[in-house]
Parts: sequence; C-alpha cells; structure tokens
Amino acid sequence: MDQKSAGLNITIFFCQQLDANQDANRRVLERELGSRIKFFPLPCSGRIEPLHLLRALETGADRVYLIICPEGACRYREGNLRARKRLAFAQGLIEEIGLEPQRLELIQTTQGDQLTIDQRAHDLLARKAAFGPNPAKLQGSRGQANNARTLEPMNPGTPDVYQGVHYDYSGKKTFI
Amino acid sequence: MITAERKPLSEIKEMIAPYKKILVAGCGSCVAECASGGEKEVGLLASALRMDAKMEGRKIEVNEITLDRQCVYEFIDQLTGLVGQFDVILSLGCGAGVQALADVFAGVIILPALNTAFIGQTKEAGLWIENCRACGDCKLGYFAAVCPITRCAKGLFNGPCGGSKDGKCETDPDAPCAWQLIIERLDKAGRLDLLQNVYPPADWSKQQGKGPRKIHREDQSI
Repeated sequence: MDQKSAGLNITIFFCQQLDANQDANRRVLERELGSRIKFFPLPCSGRIEPLHLLRALETGADRVYLIICPEGACRYREGNLRARKRLAFAQGLIEEIGLEPQRLELIQTTQGDQLTIDQRAHDLLARKAAFGPNPAKLQGSRGQANNARTLEPMNPGTPDVYQGVHYDYSGKKTFI
Repeated sequence: MITAERKPLSEIKEMIAPYKKILVAGCGSCVAECASGGEKEVGLLASALRMDAKMEGRKIEVNEITLDRQCVYEFIDQLTGLVGQFDVILSLGCGAGVQALADVFAGVIILPALNTAFIGQTKEAGLWIENCRACGDCKLGYFAAVCPITRCAKGLFNGPCGGSKDGKCETDPDAPCAWQLIIERLDKAGRLDLLQNVYPPADWSKQQGKGPRKIHREDQSI
C-alpha cells in the first residue's frame, strides 16, 4: 500500500530554490489532503534545524522529508551539506528513543531534475508505506488550526500553564 | 565559556523516572554557545522526552523554559512561581547553573541533564577546545597567550619537550604543540627574550587544596 492510501501524515521541508512557483504548485495537494500533508519551504535547506524535524514528528507527522538541492548546486554554497548533517543528527536523537531513524529522510535532487514540488510530493506519497503511524506523535496533534495542538491544562485552576508551553526570556508564553 | 555535553537520554530518563511534571530549564549563555543547553537544545530534549514517554505509554508533562543565565539570581528569579508547579527541574545549565537553581529553590529537586566539560573557546562552528584550567595564576602574558598548563599535554612552563612532530603534539597528532605556538608567536612579536627566563612551577594553592574558591568584592556588593 502506498503512503497516500495508508493515510500517513507527511511533512515536507524543502529548499524553495527548487521550484520558483512552489507557493502555487503545492496548493492543490494541500487542499486535497488537508492536514495530512504539510509543506515547509525554506530559503535554503541549510536553514533546517534538528528541532524542526523533531517537532514535526512530535506534532503528528508519520514521515518527514527534507528535499535538498543537488550536490554542488546550493545557491548559498553549503546549505545542502549542512542540511544533511542536521538531519543525521536528528535521526540519532529519534533512534535514541526507539523511533525508526528512516522516518526522517533526506531527498537529494539531481542536476537537471526540473520537477515541481507537487510532483515531488506525489512521488513521495506513491512510495510504499514502509512504516505505520508514528507511535511517538502526540494525540490530537495534527489538523488543528495554525498547527496548534489541543493542550490539556497541566494543573486545573492554573489554565494558563499547559503541556508544550514554551516560556521565552521575557516570560511570554507561546504554544508549541 | 563553559562547555558541556548532554548526558545520554537513558541516564536522563533514569533520573526523571519517578516524576511526572518536568520543567526543562535551559541557559542562554555559555551552554547555548556550545549548543548543549540553549533554547534549541531545551526544545530537542523536551520533544524527545515527550515522544519517548508516548512510545512507552507513560504519561508525563514536560514544559520548557530558557533563562538568559542560570547562575545569576536575577535571571533565576524568572522561575519563582513556576517551580512549584513541577515535580522536578531538569537543568540544561552547567554545574554552576544547576547548583545555583538548587540554592535558590531549596526543597525543589533539580537534576542535571548536562555533563559540564571545560572552559573553552569556539574554535570554529561545531568545534570547542579547552584552553583554560582556571588555575588562578595566569601566565599567558609570558607565553604569547598560549596556556602551557592547558594546551601542553605535559603542562611545561619551560618547554618545549622535544617530542613534537611537524608542529603537532606527540600525544595527539591533531593537537598543535603549545610550545611551537608559543615560540612562533613570540618570534612574530619580537619577544623571544621572554624565553630566557626560567619560570618556577605554578602556585597550585590558588586553585586547589582550600575547598571551593570565592571572589568577594566590596565595591560590587549591595
């Protein structure tokens, strides 16, 4: 069974240099699959952080792909090389908790490859579902407006303290 | 900068096993610079702990906060009012940060998630090297700002030992010979005359043998 038919949640981080019309090209698929597919265009794949990849898994992705430029073709010279190292680091982290590292996958494009982002996404969705749903994702974490999760109050009576709240330096709270 | 590395997740899990409500507290200073305890690392550890618990069917609550500095009361005070809501504070600060939290919040369980390593320098992105042992008796002025205690494997004040090869230390072919550096730099600076001196052994009483050191300045006190 392919990943689309299996109903897996797919998150795709990609270098937006790969597709000049990525903003328009991904809309059809986003409308069709809704929260089951999430695209995160990056100005360069070197912008990716291991934290982005872990948060994607935690908030509902079953598979996470990072699509990078061909070797030697990074507009910013080394961004795709850094992306590769960071994905490998994140793979080590999820392996530490017993999750298959292959749930995070690097897709390196090749020279001359002119596929649009939706074509690439279709290819990924058509892949055989090697894994089932991600057992580490938090329930109810996908499909909420603005990527927000339904968060349970940690202490009844102090409703402004939630699991997943991040307090920044100034004490301002943001939901993750 | 004080450097540190995160403990293995298995060790952290063992420490926090009895607790359900956990606050992961990072530090935005030294350990953020060495990518072990800053805001990103807090997020990574908290995410990993939440997902790990989910995979094992355990219910825990893991929250995140990063202080600007975990070893100074004015910054630690941001936790006042929060700590009571948690069973444990998992600190991603250095050893000083962990102990500072414990001093301020007596009775609260503070656990270290890092192994504090050394005082070092960011040599390049992703590379930190030890270059100060905090001996309390700095002699960098005589040695062209290369610390022979830290960077010479034999800690020689009157080197070189003669064992270096191609400018590298005989104990580690990746490490530059400190005395090669000292001589090259003094030569460039026209201060080879400093090598005519015979330097006495370090005064270790300034570092060791008297318990924890302290610096007290009246002019800074209030």
